Amino acid sequence: MASCSDTIYIKADRNIEVTKPEVTLGDVLKIECANPSVTSRVKTLKLLKFHDTDRKNKNRTCVSILKVIACIHEVYPNADVENAGEQDFIVTLEEQKTAGQFVHWVKTFFVVVITFCGAAFSIMAFNNDVDVTKLFGQVYESLTGTESPGFTILELTYSIGVIIGILTFFNHFGKKKFTVDPTPMEVEMRLYENDIQTTLIEDFSRKGKELDVGNSDRSGSSRT
Amino acid sequence: MWVTQTVLAVLGLSAGLAVAAGLFSFIIGLGVISDFADRTHTGDHILLYEDSVALGGMLGNIFWVYHIAIPGGSVLLGVFGIFAGIFVGCWSMALAEILNVFPIFIRRAKLIKCIPYLIAAMALGKGIGALIFFYRGW
Repeated sequence: MASCSDTIYIKADRNIEVTKPEVTLGDVLKIECANPSVTSRVKTLKLLKFHDTDRKNKNRTCVSILKVIACIHEVYPNADVENAGEQDFIVTLEEQKTAGQFVHWVKTFFVVVITFCGAAFSIMAFNNDVDVTKLFGQVYESLTGTESPGFTILELTYSIGVIIGILTFFNHFGKKKFTVDPTPMEVEMRLYENDIQTTLIEDFSRKGKELDVGNSDRSGSSRT
Repeated sequence: MWVTQTVLAVLGLSAGLAVAAGLFSFIIGLGVISDFADRTHTGDHILLYEDSVALGGMLGNIFWVYHIAIPGGSVLLGVFGIFAGIFVGCWSMALAEILNVFPIFIRRAKLIKCIPYLIAAMALGKGIGALIFFYRGW
């Protein structure tokens, strides 16, 4: 059993959330091997254990894929391990939801109000800044020859144009999407997440706190 | 007569489209709202936030162009003021962040330890600056 010379394929996502303090390889990786018994044995190998689970800032660590390979080689020294995923990944111990739905909705409500007021403020500040009123008056006068009464077709179509522009830009209103593309906010959100994950991984490895081969085990990383 | 009206209509429509595209990609591109969603762990509601930004833009513009009177008085004014203030505060910091002001400045000045004070000082400075600006009526 322990002499396995098959190829084991492993794949890790960049950001993994676990719910138990003891993390096994099966919790964080997708594993494929021609021999099913090897797969199930590898899945149960212990990778790390979170201590101080009540302290929130200790509940995240960064693991190098080399550590995982070393883990497998301890059981199957002859196994050929192929990594098809990330080279470093983040493991976060996420406690079961403690904050209630109510808090969640209150937060959402506040963000909605802030973004609404902010957008309204931005468009008005922009209109004031570039002096749209004066510009429209000038355009109206040079085209019609008479002084602008203030509310002309120009103002009306400008407002309609702003509405169409915003809806086209955001690509949806409510749950109704106009095309299958993700909306700009969804794209921005993923970019933001990516930045955060890259920063976390680089932070861990720069401080030498990444769980890697070649450095001694520290607290929070004991394998048994 | 109707020719000039049509020209005006086309002009207004295109102006509105261009302004909306520019201003709103600016707001989204700065990442203020994705920051809000991440900070409050409500990322599953970003479509709602988009709706809220879109509505704010549309209604704010109509309100501004047509000088519509809204009942509610100084209470509503205060509510709008504080939320618009929060938004603009985040916006101005996001702008500084995008332009790499902090990394460059901190690296040049070799400041590592006093970043929290730096941030507190910046927030206070912006707040007091805004107060003086309005108080003096500049």
